[in-house]
Amino acid sequence: MPNEFHGQLITLLPRLRVQALALTRNRAAAEDLVQDAVANALAAQNSFTPGTNFAAWMHRILRNRFISTLRKQRETTDIEDLPAGAFAVSATHEDRLILKELGQAVNRLPADQREALFMVVLQGMSYEDVAEATGCAVGTAKSRVFRARRQLQTWLMGEESTGQGRTSDAQDGRERRAGVGEHNLFA
Amino acid sequence: MDMDRSDSGKPPSKPHTVPPPQGRAPEDAFDLWLQRGLHQLYDSVAAEPIPPELLRLIEADKTRDKT
Repeated sequence: MPNEFHGQLITLLPRLRVQALALTRNRAAAEDLVQDAVANALAAQNSFTPGTNFAAWMHRILRNRFISTLRKQRETTDIEDLPAGAFAVSATHEDRLILKELGQAVNRLPADQREALFMVVLQGMSYEDVAEATGCAVGTAKSRVFRARRQLQTWLMGEESTGQGRTSDAQDGRERRAGVGEHNLFA
Repeated sequence: MDMDRSDSGKPPSKPHTVPPPQGRAPEDAFDLWLQRGLHQLYDSVAAEPIPPELLRLIEADKTRDKT
């Protein structure tokens, strides 16, 4: 039913935007990515089976679109591009500095870890949902979030980095399902 | 999102900052601080209005399906 598909798509847009920002680290690029992913989804809507996990299907489309775009062009993202809302809240100067530090540290994470972290922490997704949305095993999804948290703690607590935050999924198993080039982006 | 202001914006257990909340392991305290910080940074992103052109794209496709 067209209405159900389109209705689900519109409902999911805010979450797609967060995922896109996690992947691109850039507001403008995130908006473009969402729009491109939506266009792809509309073109491929006949391939979606009603009653199955629409969110996972759509998240995968967006992720694949991101990887596809990066294969074509090696864009550099502005790691200083933090959400404007970070400084719109009423906060002390020190609070804003700490938030900025957090934002910069988050942008330094590998994209797959940042994406998984956002999905779990910001969107409350289960590890199973994250695994389905990103095309990996549940254990890999858990590992990404764990490593992201640990790396952020290392950076922000002023401890020496062990470099373990940059390990790839290959060290967790063989659940790689993305195409060529992901290892350059996500490790 | 309603955040507890008593913990301020500081990450826990830094030598020059306040210690973690009573009864919380350092990892739990950091996770709590991280969660709050991420929400503070990114909740506004999800709350922003959807660009009209994107909604038009979806609506146009829905209309096309009906014809």
